[in-house]
Amino acid sequence: MSTEVTAAGKPFIHHHSAHCESGVTSALFRDKGLEISEPMIFGIGSGIFFGHLPFVKWVGLPISTFRSLPGSVFRKAAKRLGGEFVTKRYRSPQKGMDELRHVLQTGQIVGLTTNIYWLSYFPNRFRFQFNGHNIVVLHEIENGFRVSDPVLDQPVDCLLDDLERARFAKGPLEPHGFMYYPKSVNAHPDLRTACIKGMKDTCNMMLKIPLPIFGIRGICFLGKRIIRSGEKLGFKEACRQLANIVRMQEEVGTGGAGFRFMYAAFLQEAAELFGSGELADLSKEMTAIGDIWREFAVVSARIIKQRGRAEETFAKAGGLMLICAGREEQLFKDLNNVVRKLKA
Amino acid sequence: MKANEVPQDITYYEGVKRACYALNDEEKYVIITSTGWNTEDVVNGLAVEELAADLEETRKAVLAGVKSPLCYHMARRQMNPEILAKTAGIAAFRVKRHLTPGIFAKLKASILDRYAKALAVTREELKTVPQT
Repeated sequence: MSTEVTAAGKPFIHHHSAHCESGVTSALFRDKGLEISEPMIFGIGSGIFFGHLPFVKWVGLPISTFRSLPGSVFRKAAKRLGGEFVTKRYRSPQKGMDELRHVLQTGQIVGLTTNIYWLSYFPNRFRFQFNGHNIVVLHEIENGFRVSDPVLDQPVDCLLDDLERARFAKGPLEPHGFMYYPKSVNAHPDLRTACIKGMKDTCNMMLKIPLPIFGIRGICFLGKRIIRSGEKLGFKEACRQLANIVRMQEEVGTGGAGFRFMYAAFLQEAAELFGSGELADLSKEMTAIGDIWREFAVVSARIIKQRGRAEETFAKAGGLMLICAGREEQLFKDLNNVVRKLKA
Repeated sequence: MKANEVPQDITYYEGVKRACYALNDEEKYVIITSTGWNTEDVVNGLAVEELAADLEETRKAVLAGVKSPLCYHMARRQMNPEILAKTAGIAAFRVKRHLTPGIFAKLKASILDRYAKALAVTREELKTVPQT
């Protein structure tokens, strides 16, 4: 945690967060005087999800995601908390950068969607072409901007060229210089209603989507695929795909176990808010499920490292994932029942 | 995950620390910074190695005269012809043509400049690849 000053001379406290989007959203709310934690935003914005898209390839690998669509946490949280936001996209990079400067001069901090590859302050091994990273810009400095990247533990300087490239990068999910900042924020939002809405939405997404690749069905689907992948794809290719799943689960800023721990933190906070013992129990269950996800990651890494000689097999890794699926299904069903009993 | 189980395995990635959610002694969730996890190192290492091997192969192919230097610089920026085409504002089928050395050698300066800008290199750099 460290304090910075915005262009208006207002102090800005940088909070280290696990996930970029929820971190940025909570930073923007906090700047407007609403103290709200990152897990709370994540839960209200229904950030947790699962999807496995075998037919959409990214660097030749199928996409597995542990989160909802980029941008949706911000959008849903803003709507449910009654914050009014200005959102803008640009065709011309020049105009996009000019307007960013203009808004910063008014003393407003701004959230931006960027491509992580072009942000050179990141260590090289994190840099890959992904157009969904969110950052907060605090103020302009010489030849660049002061940036609070929620995933890093300190605010950093970002070069002007880097930021322009990052904002106007091309490829899947083009950001088009997407910029957002709050116009007004409800200082006393109805947190309870917002939480209930978020939880109901999450239950629906995890349980009710009638396609086999999303939600709990998606986890089962992927688990079964992993079990067969060793024979079906050959050892090397199966390892590549497995490694990619684990990267999506752990590496891309999830707070551990593919957002499961962050969601457990949200359930814990919600349990306090509602004074509900049932939610507290669900939080504990979520933590236990998260631990199994971590074990899955450990087993996967062993498979990859030992090149298939040892007792750790694809069947074991896939089996762990199926256990997660079973327990999560029960958890979200319980949550669905509990949330309907809660009073706003 | 308990706070004392948060992995502190490696000095992670050039000093950058990662935020993890974990339970403290009072069973309450707090953010704990992690310096890295061996498991992540393995899976990330696999991806990084793959990219590096791919880049090295491309570099050799360029030196052997099979591919154009543009191919190397594209791979260095982890792009594919489609992304490069959009970034440079040149049709994808032309970009794919320009990956052949003969066609690349005859390109006009204005086209080269567009590639150079898209890939954040100078025009001279774009025409060459590192020898080692």
